[in-house]
Amino acid sequence: MKIAIVGFGVVGQALVRLLNERSGELYRQHGFAPRIVAVMDTRGAALSAQGLEIAALLHAKASDGTVAALADCGVAGVDSEQVIAECGARVLIEATPSSLRDPQPAIRHLKAAFRAGLHVVSVNKVPLAVALPGLRELANYNRVMFRFSGTVGAGLPVLALAQQCALGDEILSVRAVLNGTTNYILWRMHEAGLDFAAALAEAVRLGYAETDPSADIDGVDTAMKTVIFANVVLDRAATLADVQVAGIRDLPRERIAAAAAGQRVKLLAEFGEALRVGPEEVEAHGPLDVPANINAVSLSLRHGGEVTLRGPGAGGVETATGVLRDLLDIWHALGSAP
Amino acid sequence: MTIVMKFGGSSLADADTIRRCAALVRGQSSDRVITVVSAMAGVTDMLIELAQAAADGTRMRVHTLLGKLHERHELAARAFGANEAVAPLLSQLDTLVAGIGAVSELTPRSHDAVVSFGERLSAVIVAAALEGHAMTGHEAGIVTDDRHTQAIPLMKLSLHQIRETLQPRLEHGEPIVVTGFIAGTQHGAITTFGRGGSDLTATLVGAGLPADEVWIWSDVDGLMSADPRIVPEARLLGHVTFAEAIEMGQFGAKSMHPRALEPAAEYRVPVRMRNTFHPDCAGTLITDGQPNGETVRSVLRLRGSVLVTIAGAAMVGQPGTAARVFQALADVGVNVQVISQTVSEAGISVVIPASQLDPARVALENRLVRTGVARKVEIESDIDVVAVVGAGMAGVPGIAARVFGAVARRNINVMAIAQGSSELTICFVVKADASATAVQALHAEFGLAG
Repeated sequence: MKIAIVGFGVVGQALVRLLNERSGELYRQHGFAPRIVAVMDTRGAALSAQGLEIAALLHAKASDGTVAALADCGVAGVDSEQVIAECGARVLIEATPSSLRDPQPAIRHLKAAFRAGLHVVSVNKVPLAVALPGLRELANYNRVMFRFSGTVGAGLPVLALAQQCALGDEILSVRAVLNGTTNYILWRMHEAGLDFAAALAEAVRLGYAETDPSADIDGVDTAMKTVIFANVVLDRAATLADVQVAGIRDLPRERIAAAAAGQRVKLLAEFGEALRVGPEEVEAHGPLDVPANINAVSLSLRHGGEVTLRGPGAGGVETATGVLRDLLDIWHALGSAP
Repeated sequence: MTIVMKFGGSSLADADTIRRCAALVRGQSSDRVITVVSAMAGVTDMLIELAQAAADGTRMRVHTLLGKLHERHELAARAFGANEAVAPLLSQLDTLVAGIGAVSELTPRSHDAVVSFGERLSAVIVAAALEGHAMTGHEAGIVTDDRHTQAIPLMKLSLHQIRETLQPRLEHGEPIVVTGFIAGTQHGAITTFGRGGSDLTATLVGAGLPADEVWIWSDVDGLMSADPRIVPEARLLGHVTFAEAIEMGQFGAKSMHPRALEPAAEYRVPVRMRNTFHPDCAGTLITDGQPNGETVRSVLRLRGSVLVTIAGAAMVGQPGTAARVFQALADVGVNVQVISQTVSEAGISVVIPASQLDPARVALENRLVRTGVARKVEIESDIDVVAVVGAGMAGVPGIAARVFGAVARRNINVMAIAQGSSELTICFVVKADASATAVQALHAEFGLAG
């Protein structure tokens, strides 16, 4: 299967490494032999109808900062929409680091792929948080598959688990810790008695937080995941404007200390009548009291009771695993199509 | 308030009427207004004829029509100093028509391209009158499937893109004029919506923004309790529900096309029908509000239909007969307006447009009579359908008795009856010469004159 990748940062690189390392096993178990025919980054593209050499691709990116430097296959300054439409790929992986301030480039990539009849795996949350109902409609109209399981919980199958739980049962409410960075900060504030600034500095130093952590600590990242979850699992046509968001920026240490005995403060996403993101108390040692940068999603089912999924919810390799899961899902669906 | 105002062709006949529309937009100075326009009166028909004439190679006709189109638009444009804006569009139209003439073929896609010039021209003229900016429906964000001449919008995507495109411009305070009726595919090819298309553009823009109200300006005051040509004391309805308005549209009231009301109903944007030539009248407000206690709101008459009865003893207790009847009709593209069947199953009656009688009859005789499923197909061509509409009828006992009592007292024979399970409408078939009397009787029975 021919694959195009737009955005070649941490996740994109982790994915091609993963595909390379596991190629034998993927072929034996699934007959899956991906060929990467196009990779685009901000400075250009690498193109090859026969499939790009993965080691060379990674090397070009590492040494020259762009895949456009790849010998024979590299092209500087391309129109990514045109490459998507004409590269001959069956699936596009959208892994650009777009920001909420400018969701348009990523939205344009997705639309270009749907128009050209490509299936899509998106790792990028932003276009989904802004325009998911419209994008799904366009994918359906063009009869292509649109997967994005890595956007919520990275490698954790959060969306799939919730959808399975909802089948034949009813989800009464959902409470979730969906952002590892803020969980690490809150955990350290409690465990080590650090204040917010010190905990954040530590998270940045250990690579749990980005140098600009705004999207995490202001609750925006969690809110975007909330929107995606609400659309997919709860069938609500929500957008970011429908989520009440409070972050944990400069949360005073007293707020942590003031939590009643047996309670912990977490940045919680709650799906009830309204969609809310904000610091809330959860039961200490309960299902949502997760340490470090671990995520947790707790579903309250009418008949099935309380179901919780916990695990790492971020990281390049973890997210790449989510992409691979989506790719295999598409590969199997294509094979069983009439 | 944010208001979407749509002006129909009759409101855009010439420079004077365009000036009047511009004044109506400017009159809402405290509100933010987005204007949606149809083509100037009569222009769409001329363009359809032009496209066909070009394909047929009737050069004189093409020449005459192009001349008229140039003259109409140049004259109107001159009044607002918009000649430079219409000139490139008119020259594009000339080129397109020459191209169609050269290949002697009119595809649905080129048909849409030609027809689109009506709205594109009127939009730049109205934009000049408002000192604003004209854009096509596609530029405003509306994306459709690729069924040219009958395109259907990709609703969620279009609403998202409309909001994205128009909201910033609206905040900027610049008057915006959007072409009604025309949009584009995801690949950018021009498409048109078919009947009621400009109203659909207006409700899409209204739902996308979202607007507080959508005002549809035309040459009627609004929805009436009956056609005043039949019932002189008929009254304007100040407020109806979406369901009522959609139903009334089905029965040919001068309502909006049901398809055009859909986005407004789904996204709860109130629609107001208003009269350009009678702006003091508040018109008819259409909302999703609850019925106001009245049962029957309006009595309508549908003309130009025929009653077709498929009869035969062999149909009794035979599962699938109805499916065969409707499959036969669907296969030849016949639009079934009313369906009526009794428990005995000895006959199924349908009302269809008279214009579709021939293919319907052939299909039914070939598929059902020939194969012995039915014994005969009977046609009653001299009929009308009468309907009473009102959301408040649901769950109120005795309405049907009053309807048919009133009709019976006038000695009118009812030939077929149908009521939907929503109880929004009761309709029945009568001889054409009795339909006006039936409408008058029902209007009086339910005290609709107020």
